[in-house]
Amino acid sequence: MSEARLYPGTGQHERTTFEPYSAFDIPADLRELHGRYDVEATARRVRNFRYAEEWMMMMMGGWVATIPELPVKTGLGKVIWETAQAADSLGKRLPELRCGRKSTGSSEAPNQSFAEVIQEIARPESPDLTIEKLVAIFDVLKPHLVEVYAKTMRETDQICDAPTIEILEDIVRKTRRHISWGQEILDRLCDTEAKRSARLQRAAEIRALLAASGGVTGELGSAQA
Amino acid sequence: MKRFIQHEELARDSRFIRQQNVAGRVLASLPDDVDAIVEAFEKLEPVIDAGTRGTAAEPLLDEYGVAFTLITLNEPLRPDDPGAETRLRMRMHGIFVGELQALEGAGRSLWDFPDSPWEFKMNMARQCWDEARHVQIYEKLLRHVGGDVGMFSESTFLFECACPDDPAMRVAGVNRGLEGLACDVFRDMLVYAEEAGDEVMKQAVDYVLADELTHVRFGSEWVKEFTRNDPERLKAAQDFRREVDRRFNFGGARSADPDAAIPIAWEDRKEAGFTDEELAELAELSGEGPSRKTLRAAADILVARHRERKGLAPLAEVQL
Repeated sequence: MSEARLYPGTGQHERTTFEPYSAFDIPADLRELHGRYDVEATARRVRNFRYAEEWMMMMMGGWVATIPELPVKTGLGKVIWETAQAADSLGKRLPELRCGRKSTGSSEAPNQSFAEVIQEIARPESPDLTIEKLVAIFDVLKPHLVEVYAKTMRETDQICDAPTIEILEDIVRKTRRHISWGQEILDRLCDTEAKRSARLQRAAEIRALLAASGGVTGELGSAQA
Repeated sequence: MKRFIQHEELARDSRFIRQQNVAGRVLASLPDDVDAIVEAFEKLEPVIDAGTRGTAAEPLLDEYGVAFTLITLNEPLRPDDPGAETRLRMRMHGIFVGELQALEGAGRSLWDFPDSPWEFKMNMARQCWDEARHVQIYEKLLRHVGGDVGMFSESTFLFECACPDDPAMRVAGVNRGLEGLACDVFRDMLVYAEEAGDEVMKQAVDYVLADELTHVRFGSEWVKEFTRNDPERLKAAQDFRREVDRRFNFGGARSADPDAAIPIAWEDRKEAGFTDEELAELAELSGEGPSRKTLRAAADILVARHRERKGLAPLAEVQL
């Protein structure tokens, strides 16, 4: 066994030495085992996440024909594809979590209330409701998902559940870009006090429904959120 | 949001002018008879007039009457034609709105069929992104050739093919009929770009054509999958695709004739999964409509009558 070494960039006053592996002479892995979610809990969360991503993809697809603003139509095209990819990669994680080989297409709402929130988000259809359509996705649901995905990445077992973290990292990166795009569009569309007020009102309504449902995992506000 | 919308419900901004689709439907059912075509187009005059006034095609209507639609559709487009600039912009605009409707059709397939297989949804989601890029590409190409969005009216007959409530029929109509037509049109645009020495257009259209082959393949695979062990459903899908092909022949403008305005892109279609039997059938269908010679003769009569009515001097030759 070699002598204890300092991590690169640290000094003698810091207690961050490590014992190199004898075989490889590389720093020891300081991560600890045991996260907040076991296999079953992670599988349930992944199915919940996939439910939200799949429904967002479907409703944005339906909206394209009902939205008159050309840049919104074309911008949604890419968001739809990346949201579908998010649902797809989450689905591919399910068989790895003992959900069965055919589970890649499985989605599950955490509860009936969340399923109703999704239907409320999908409700606007007439061409004069672009703001109402976009607010629910880009001001509320996608930001909520980023928050929950980030929390999941922090709290799950960093080694055992690393594949889920990898998937969520990629989804969060793209979702943040979607939110920026959507909010920029909304800032431009909401060019009067009445429209800004409609945006805030719709966001508040959806946020309240989301909170009441417990969010994408059904645990928002509880100890397990 | 309800499921299944009609083409009248497509949302557009204020730049767009909607055109009734009657002319396209009539053209698809015309016999190879000069008098019948003249009579049909004279009856269509109010519809064509309404869809043309206020657009960049209005001067053509004033000069040639309703016959301008026959000529612009049925004559091959080449860079040294007298009216090539206007016709190129018309074609670019037509492709642009076609891509827009294809984007909307793929998006609606995601919403209208929530219980469809996941792989189908993935294909449609990918198509949404591709079509969105195509809209952006053709908007830029339209400006590249001196045009702009809304300068001509929009016919929504492409989206009409995206309305069936059976996904098998929808992919047969959209991914095989509509996207197959796109292969023909884009191959012809590549010939135009080559002749015009337009490298920007050539490269962009070539990329779009590559995407279209993928979309036709989606269609070929999903028609098979949706109709597996269901011969009646397969027949309905094939019949619908034939009907779409018949309409998209534009009365013979797209055909197997070597001098067709839009020749069939045999090689591209084969690569996309069309069988030899299907291609032979398409060639046969495209030969059902009036010949180019008949359409030209009808156009000459229509132009002469129009100019006489308006007190304009007769033209020695109609060149557009």
